[in-house]
Amino acid sequence: MSKTTEKRPLLEVVDLKQHFPIESGFIIRRQIGAVRAVDGISFTVNEGETLGIVGESGCGKSTTVRSIAQLYKPTSGSVIFDGIDLVNAPREQMLDARKNIQMIFQDPYASLDPRMTVRTIIAEPLEIYRTRGMLDPSVTKDVIERRVEELMERVGLNKAFKNRYPHEFSGGQRQRIGIARALALNPKIILADEPVSALDVSIQSQILNLLHDLQKELGLTYVFIAHDLAVIEYISTRVAVMYLGKIMELSRSSDLYKNPLHPYTKALLSAAPIPDPVIERKRQRIILTGDVPSPNKERFGCYFYDRCPYKMEKCKTNIPPMKRIDENHEVACWLYE
Amino acid sequence: MNLFNKKSNKLQTTNEFNQVVVGNSLTKDAWRRLKKNKMAVISVIIVIVYILLATLAPILPIYPYDEIILDHQHLKPSFSKNAGELLMEKRLADIYTQAWRQGRMQVSEAEEEMLWAWIDSSNANKVWDYMFVVGSEQVAEGTYTLTAAEKRIIENLEKKLQTDLQITVKKVWYTNSETGKKENVARLPVEQVVEIYAEMVGASIASVSNQYEREIEQQLVKVIMAQNTGLTPEEYLLLYDKKLESMSEREHDKLIKENVFSKIVSYAKDIASQDLKTAATDASAEFPLDKEISILGSLSADVEATRKHDRQYYLGTDNQGRDMLSRIIYGGQVSIAIGFIGTITSVLIGIVLGSLAGYLGGKVDYFIMRIVDIMYGLPYMLLVIIAMAIFGRNILNLFFALAIISWLTISRMVRGQIMSLKNQEFIEAARSMGAPTWRIIFKHLVPNSLSVIIVFSTLRIPSFIMTESFLSYLGLGVQAPYASWGSLVGDAVGGMTLYPWKLFFPAATMTIFLFAMNFLGDGLRDAFDPQSKNQL
Amino acid sequence: MTNATSPDTYKRLLEVKGLQTYFKTDAGIVKAVDGISFTLNKGETLGIVGESGSGKSVTNLSIMRLIPSPPGKIVGGEVLFEGKDILKLSESELRHLRGNDISMIFQDPMTSLNPFLRISTQMIETIRLHKTMSRKEALAKSIEMLKLVGIPAAEERIHSYPHQFSGGMRQRVMIAMALSCEAKILIADEPTTALDVTIQAQILELIQELSKKLDTAVILITHDLGVVAGMCDTVCVMYAGKIVEKAKTDDLYAKPSHPYTFGLIQSVPRLDKAHDGKLFSIEGQPPNVIDLPPCCPFHPRCHKAMDICRTKYPPTKDLGNGHEVSCWLFIDEKEHSHE
Repeated sequence: MSKTTEKRPLLEVVDLKQHFPIESGFIIRRQIGAVRAVDGISFTVNEGETLGIVGESGCGKSTTVRSIAQLYKPTSGSVIFDGIDLVNAPREQMLDARKNIQMIFQDPYASLDPRMTVRTIIAEPLEIYRTRGMLDPSVTKDVIERRVEELMERVGLNKAFKNRYPHEFSGGQRQRIGIARALALNPKIILADEPVSALDVSIQSQILNLLHDLQKELGLTYVFIAHDLAVIEYISTRVAVMYLGKIMELSRSSDLYKNPLHPYTKALLSAAPIPDPVIERKRQRIILTGDVPSPNKERFGCYFYDRCPYKMEKCKTNIPPMKRIDENHEVACWLYE
Repeated sequence: MNLFNKKSNKLQTTNEFNQVVVGNSLTKDAWRRLKKNKMAVISVIIVIVYILLATLAPILPIYPYDEIILDHQHLKPSFSKNAGELLMEKRLADIYTQAWRQGRMQVSEAEEEMLWAWIDSSNANKVWDYMFVVGSEQVAEGTYTLTAAEKRIIENLEKKLQTDLQITVKKVWYTNSETGKKENVARLPVEQVVEIYAEMVGASIASVSNQYEREIEQQLVKVIMAQNTGLTPEEYLLLYDKKLESMSEREHDKLIKENVFSKIVSYAKDIASQDLKTAATDASAEFPLDKEISILGSLSADVEATRKHDRQYYLGTDNQGRDMLSRIIYGGQVSIAIGFIGTITSVLIGIVLGSLAGYLGGKVDYFIMRIVDIMYGLPYMLLVIIAMAIFGRNILNLFFALAIISWLTISRMVRGQIMSLKNQEFIEAARSMGAPTWRIIFKHLVPNSLSVIIVFSTLRIPSFIMTESFLSYLGLGVQAPYASWGSLVGDAVGGMTLYPWKLFFPAATMTIFLFAMNFLGDGLRDAFDPQSKNQL
Repeated sequence: MTNATSPDTYKRLLEVKGLQTYFKTDAGIVKAVDGISFTLNKGETLGIVGESGSGKSVTNLSIMRLIPSPPGKIVGGEVLFEGKDILKLSESELRHLRGNDISMIFQDPMTSLNPFLRISTQMIETIRLHKTMSRKEALAKSIEMLKLVGIPAAEERIHSYPHQFSGGMRQRVMIAMALSCEAKILIADEPTTALDVTIQAQILELIQELSKKLDTAVILITHDLGVVAGMCDTVCVMYAGKIVEKAKTDDLYAKPSHPYTFGLIQSVPRLDKAHDGKLFSIEGQPPNVIDLPPCCPFHPRCHKAMDICRTKYPPTKDLGNGHEVSCWLFIDEKEHSHE
């Protein structure tokens, strides 16, 4: 994959925080705490590139893309797309800008409405924006119909099946339907939330190849989430490693594997199995102890402190800032101070 | 080898890149599973038959459900005997019983004992039935001869059975003397109808109009009095004037026409019955007949006449001589309509409120659910009874009262369903596309919970019918001459031992329907629920 | 019975011969497992790899005789555990076998523990079901097992409820329960699929370590070729209810012979290798296993398909060193015409 990109930031996330209140109480409900799903992250996504976000479950990677897609109202921070701050922009303007941000979901079975035909599913974004009057008036029912057929062919589905229901398709085909739906409005950026992790190995590579082709052809920008490092490394231009709602390391994807800096990244990489018994036997694993701690409490030190094999006294009480190591590599760790 | 190739081709198609893995839409799948359930299929057939009978009631060859024939009170259900024969049987049984009680007819000692035992346990039906058999035998054998008075009674009855006619005037025709054209009076304009009537009775138009104005006034005042009680006569007159003022010309004309036309019809009926009576006595005419007879001058009428006592009552009659069969069918109309309309209304209210509460959550949810909780706390029946007392007792109000109170369960159910669905990825997908709330609720959430709603509604219909029956039984439901299954059962309870058919048939009809509905609901649930026992 | 005492057979703990498990559905008979054979030696770790629907889980449920019947039925074959055919055992013998000799851990640690009972209750029950032990002894044993699987403060934590444990911890408890009766075979059905990468590494490490320590043979079912590479001695690759290739792990990765195996290994993006352009990918969808004709089920997706693949299922060919493959590519003309 060519990794030359124009350096024009398309999406900018600035100090995004997404806290979900925990409420308690009978009749009068009070907030007694918050799940700090995303706790202050900043990054930019340049046009035409793929930003991979990797992390374990509960690290806030899914919440991040959902906040970008405005499915949640962020607690604080801003999401700037094409110069418009989606969080604070008036609703009309936000909706208009949001046409260019579409999502692909993880579960090909749950992400398609089982009561709708493939045609209605793919046409839905178009219909929604048409009834809102935000599409070109030339877009009529016929135009939508033709667009649906075109999209189905583009993602490798036979357009003769447009009147079928999703459960008549296999997992891989359903994911193609989901991709066609995301492409319907000609978006600039696609947020893909673990689009291949629920698929079988042989299907996974089909979908990855399709996404790769689409990016080349349509000049799409991806924010791609996965927990599988190999997949992330394959598809991404740059990778952000998240842990407990914070970005630990952000680097060009080739650098990340060759030269991981953060202890967490190192552990992740060493834990990822490699399908080669010879290499596998030689590898040194860094096995982390314990589990991911609860994201409910406020932290004043490094978020990775509890599980870090290299923790220092300083890490306990000071949150490490993002430090730029070189042009394409940032890390949040006191080891590199 | 040929077969072999064919098979492998089939495989190739199933494995082709775009080929379908499984067939059938969800609904088709559910239908397939329902068809496998025999009880459910039988239930579907039963329900369809019931609904057809109820909707087609007006064109079915049954007697009018509200036609009162006092002679035919409490006739037994019978397939072989008509009303006349039953009446005769009844009379003879009566005569023989009298004869036995008066000692004129002898029976054996054992029989005597048995009869008295029946009388002691007030089993009059058995006594009559038995005496009819014994009496007929004795008369045939000649051991008992009828007295002259008894013979006269029987002869009179026979004559009555011969000559009593049931006459209906279907249409009244007016032959225009100038053009010679025959016109249907019911279709003529009001002025002409009045003219015809005046000509018929030989009175001036002024006096005729004077008469009908008075009658209409009486009729309207009666209606007003029924609607508002406890006012002074002056106030009623005031209300009447108001009503008259608010009435349009057309409405007024319609009233006049109805009034005058009904007089013409009753006049025609009188003439026809006189004409046909002789024909019935000397057997010069065949009954039932259907012919046109001239009434007076240029008026003639299409008349249908049957011998009143030729009627057959397969399910017997009630205390006013109305046919139970047609009352049950028409009662089914009301009961089934209440079941369906009540369910649909409550389901609609329930869906709207439940899905709003479920999807929006937070304060809206809290508010709606507290209303539901409070309404749950109030006694259901009492609310219906109060509503009926306030708004008056008619069928529409009954629908309304039932629907208002029974959306609670359904809204809770829909809410639960929606809450479990709203975190599904396809809802998130819709939201990520910028779909507005109404679209998410009505295009995604509701269709996806529809199967549960359908199942629930099907199981809900019987409970509506039960409630309606209960209210009708208490006398709060439909009012005579309308019938519902509940009111029929309620009316029958009084004479339960003497006339058991009045109770048995409506109760059985209702039970079968409720069973069918419940089986259908169960069947639907199994069919829609992928986790059900029918699943492989 | 001379065979049973020979050292070679003694080494063979489990022998599956021509196992067939079919499911009856409306659409037809699903041949979920259709004549598979493999052996598991003492202390060995066997991997079974395949995509969803390939029959890998059904194989193991069949070994435990846990197939829901109806609709499922084991219609043929033998499963010999230390020479006894499991498929012919009575219900009570079977109960003794399950847990005592063969135990299982499942994919989802959330659902395989009863949420209403304390861990201690569940573990003591399991142990006492198979071993004559007092409650006290069983508790001591449970605590010992929990310590063995690396649960800190096992004495206290044993009295908590499943929801008080995290996913990885629950899977550890499951492993402790499965091994508490010193089973000779541990069947792990996708034990790490529901877990995160770092936890997965912990659990796999644990299984490997314990199997060495307790000399337990392991059958590891997974779809992840990476997991297999690090864990297993022998690997079976399943496709549409059949084993298409079986080999020592090193051989399999060094020279994957079946086009499906080759495709699988190639289509996974690899961290350690630079990549350019597209991934190798097996086109098409896995077949529906209803009413498959007697052809190679992989032929529509195979990049090396030949005419014969469309008409006949290939016989199994031994390529040496226990490397067996079912593919027409390795059957030369002579052999074929011979048949």
